[in-house]
Amino acid sequence: MSLEWRLAWRNVWRNPRRTGLTVSATVFAVALLVLMSALSTGMWEKIIDDSVSMGSGHVTLTGPNYLEERTLEQYTYLDAPLATRLGENPAIAGYAPRVNAFGLLSDADVTRGVMVIGVDPELEKSVSSLPDRIKSGRFLEKGKNREVVLGGRLAEILGVKIGDQVLLYSVAYSLESAYDLFSVAGIMHLPDPALDRGLALISLADAQAFFVYGNRISEVAIRVREADHSASLAEQLGSSLDPEKIEAHPWPEVMPDLAQTVVIDKLGMYLMLAILVIVVAFGIFNTILMAVLERKREFGVVLALGLRPRAIFRIVYLESILLAGVGLTLGLLVAIPLVLYLQANPIPITNSEEMAAAFEMVGTDPVIYAKLIANNPILSALTILLVALLAALYPAIRASQGKPVDVLRSL
Amino acid sequence: MTETTPILQAIGVRKTYETRGVETQALSEIDLSVAEGEFTALAGPSGSGKTTLLNLMGALDIPTQGEIRLDGENLGNLTPAELSRRRLHKLGFIFQAYNLIPVFSAAENIEFVMELQGVPHEERRTRALELLESVDLAGLGDKRPLEMSGGQQQRVAVARALASRPRIILADEPTANLDSKTAIRLLDLMLELNRSQTTTFLFSSHDPLVLERARRRVWLRDGVIDRVEGGAAA
Repeated sequence: MSLEWRLAWRNVWRNPRRTGLTVSATVFAVALLVLMSALSTGMWEKIIDDSVSMGSGHVTLTGPNYLEERTLEQYTYLDAPLATRLGENPAIAGYAPRVNAFGLLSDADVTRGVMVIGVDPELEKSVSSLPDRIKSGRFLEKGKNREVVLGGRLAEILGVKIGDQVLLYSVAYSLESAYDLFSVAGIMHLPDPALDRGLALISLADAQAFFVYGNRISEVAIRVREADHSASLAEQLGSSLDPEKIEAHPWPEVMPDLAQTVVIDKLGMYLMLAILVIVVAFGIFNTILMAVLERKREFGVVLALGLRPRAIFRIVYLESILLAGVGLTLGLLVAIPLVLYLQANPIPITNSEEMAAAFEMVGTDPVIYAKLIANNPILSALTILLVALLAALYPAIRASQGKPVDVLRSL
Repeated sequence: MTETTPILQAIGVRKTYETRGVETQALSEIDLSVAEGEFTALAGPSGSGKTTLLNLMGALDIPTQGEIRLDGENLGNLTPAELSRRRLHKLGFIFQAYNLIPVFSAAENIEFVMELQGVPHEERRTRALELLESVDLAGLGDKRPLEMSGGQQQRVAVARALASRPRIILADEPTANLDSKTAIRLLDLMLELNRSQTTTFLFSSHDPLVLERARRRVWLRDGVIDRVEGGAAA
């Protein structure tokens, strides 16, 4: 070990209590940085996944201007060549064409406005979690006509159960009135309360017939294998399709509110973490500055003996790096196993209805997920190291600028 | 008669300090040569300028006027880094308050300057142990300064000063914090080193124990050399 490293390491442990406190604060900060980042990543990944799997997929193909208007007027087609291309694209896990419209659903005395989605019962399973959300009855089946699957609260409001018939009213693409009876085949439980009280699924074939839509569709929902590749896939598909007929949108364009919420929540988290990092910075700054001030005489002596001022600057910096490094290593050793445990064992929220309701408000199950991505601990470590380097700058300059004669004169 | 070569020379040295616009003259018109093998003390009452002169001759400070020459080289022409190198290779220091590095053992303190000089590990360890033996501290190499008495620490400081094989050792009030018995042992040790190894010593002290052993005493008063007593080399 070089002289500078040896001096720095021993000086770090010269005041074990002070070093212990600073290291503990760093361990706490690093652990919290990694844990909170992992919880945020896990939570938002789950929310986004739930949203895309109950919404329009990671990538959505629509007719021109569909996102602005969202009516039957903005349509597109899923022809055989496009279906083949989507099916053969290795980045795509599944795709499903849909018809989206609005209507009124009635049972004897109660009428509710609903969002009607026509889905292909088979293809939908590869894209959406809706088929898995059935709490009674069953999902739509290919070849069975005039069946409807309802959100749980919608079924409650309408007072219907499996096998009951409901009347669907709407305006068809041809602007004629459309109405028909549908049999309730299944009832879902959807974590998003808005969907749970306002979603009705019918088969794609029924929707195209009901809305007199021919073989038009509103959108093709695409599920990608890697969520991070949504934007690149949308760009790739968009550049190869005729923009006059079809557009490709990544999920943030389709669900801008969710995308914005993610950004705002992350900003809030970063702000909190920044405050934490500043507290750690002051801890390291205080420790290093005190250590430097206490050793003013020592620095004067070693300068007199022939140590270069630059070496003293390096020694003080090394002390800061070592101090942060020890805290960082211990912090990661605490945080990473904890995050991996939480990742393998998500925590269901069972004892707080308020908290569970808060999760449902954002349309996801009340379960705490954590996800460790390499960037989180790496960025946390780099942040703490950067903070240590910045915090040591002033003490290091101060230590290296002392003149031996000034120190010796004051002895 | 052998002509003695001056190691250190002060030529027309003046040193003034300015504090809040008030100029204080610490030294004036100092001419002094220290030759190889000398055992010389700068003497005088507090505030007479002896420590200031020692600092100037030790390349720790620069004169306001005049020259300090180390082996004929004018230190005023050197950069701070070059001054560092001259201190490392040509000068040894002993301070009043011992000033050992507390996180290093006695042996490591002695090795410190040798490590700065780039002496290989084995060689510097061997020399550190030899030096500890020469200052009667054999077997205490692993002790930290705080585990040693004041006299033992100052002897480690002497060994550290010798470690770099300097041209001259400058000692600022080396006995000030020691009891008389320990001070006598330390001074006798330095005298022995001066006699046996021709190690040159320049003291700043008003301790009679130092002054009665110094072969030359340069008395300072109010920043000027008042008188010089005794001869030069042994």
